[in-house]
Amino acid sequence: MNRFCLLAMSLAPLLGATRTLGEGAAIGLCAVVMGCLHQLLLAPLRKRVASWAYVLASLLLLAALASCLQLAMRAWLLPLAIALGHYPALLCLQCLASDHLLPDQRRWHVLAKHLGAVFASCLLLGASRQWLADHTELHLASLAPGALLLLGLLLALYNRLRPGSAHPHRQGKP
Amino acid sequence: MKHGARDVGLLLLTGVLAVSVTLAWRQWTSPAIASAEKQMQSRQRLAVLPEGSYDNQPLESPLPRPAAQRPNSRILAAYRATMAGKPSAIVLVTQAQGYVGPIVLSVAIATDGRLIGSQVVEQQESPGLGAHLADPQLQWLKQFDNRHQGDHWALKRDQGDFDQLAGATVTSRAVIAALQDALNYFDEQRSVWLEGAAHE
Repeated sequence: MNRFCLLAMSLAPLLGATRTLGEGAAIGLCAVVMGCLHQLLLAPLRKRVASWAYVLASLLLLAALASCLQLAMRAWLLPLAIALGHYPALLCLQCLASDHLLPDQRRWHVLAKHLGAVFASCLLLGASRQWLADHTELHLASLAPGALLLLGLLLALYNRLRPGSAHPHRQGKP
Repeated sequence: MKHGARDVGLLLLTGVLAVSVTLAWRQWTSPAIASAEKQMQSRQRLAVLPEGSYDNQPLESPLPRPAAQRPNSRILAAYRATMAGKPSAIVLVTQAQGYVGPIVLSVAIATDGRLIGSQVVEQQESPGLGAHLADPQLQWLKQFDNRHQGDHWALKRDQGDFDQLAGATVTSRAVIAALQDALNYFDEQRSVWLEGAAHE
């Protein structure tokens, strides 16, 4: 069990708020905006405060960001806000996990790659769930368990297609 | 200790900034939120009326709700649409208990007691079964258009006139009962509502 298991905290919005392509794009954008703003606002505090104060400040900022985001969505995108429900608030956990896991060097580079991957997976999941629910009779795809199965299949496909390094199956000298 | 005090100071500053910005933002967006909610409610509830059949603001002056509950549904709201001062339609928002949760329907009834149309405002039925109630391709609610109170308001398997949704008998029966209740309620109140408007 390594600490990257914390990324499982991002599963709830990924599976719950991607029923259609529009919803997936919206939750992906919310995740990107919240992640970037969170890191931006915490950057001046990183080197200056002790770790306990840093965690508390991080929580306060996340609460403020999530509240402002939900209020803004209710004001200008009300149908979308109702469709997404409470999932934008759950993005806080994802931001906390990524803040804990990001390295000290090349932080923004890794953050950009991470948020890009989150946005891409939200879009892909939303598009495939909408296509499956509309064009085939697979209504499981529009529910959360079906989304989890679909996410597993998409990850398997990604691992298959990605040209990775071959893992040595024997120990000792190659 | 000096660092401890500075940490607490910075943390307090962050907290105060976070709370004050959030409260100010909430204040700033509350009129926009109120108008967006009103617009959405009006769009949902009045979408059932045909375009151009009314020229007033029905939501501004709602009609009084019934004192007693109907047998199978609950009338949440009633609105009167008028055209050039004469009443053209009544919109009733009714709620019935579906298979999973409440189904809220918006029903438009013409002045002669004919059901103009109905639309789903809210439903949580099972996807693929009862959720086809709101399917724009299936248009199941269209079979109730232009029906009257005197028709046989039941499913064909219950010796009525209407087809059910495939695999969703509970949902179908709930919707039919709610529509029948709405028409009965209109019949009870038609003298009050229609003559009352003509005198205004």
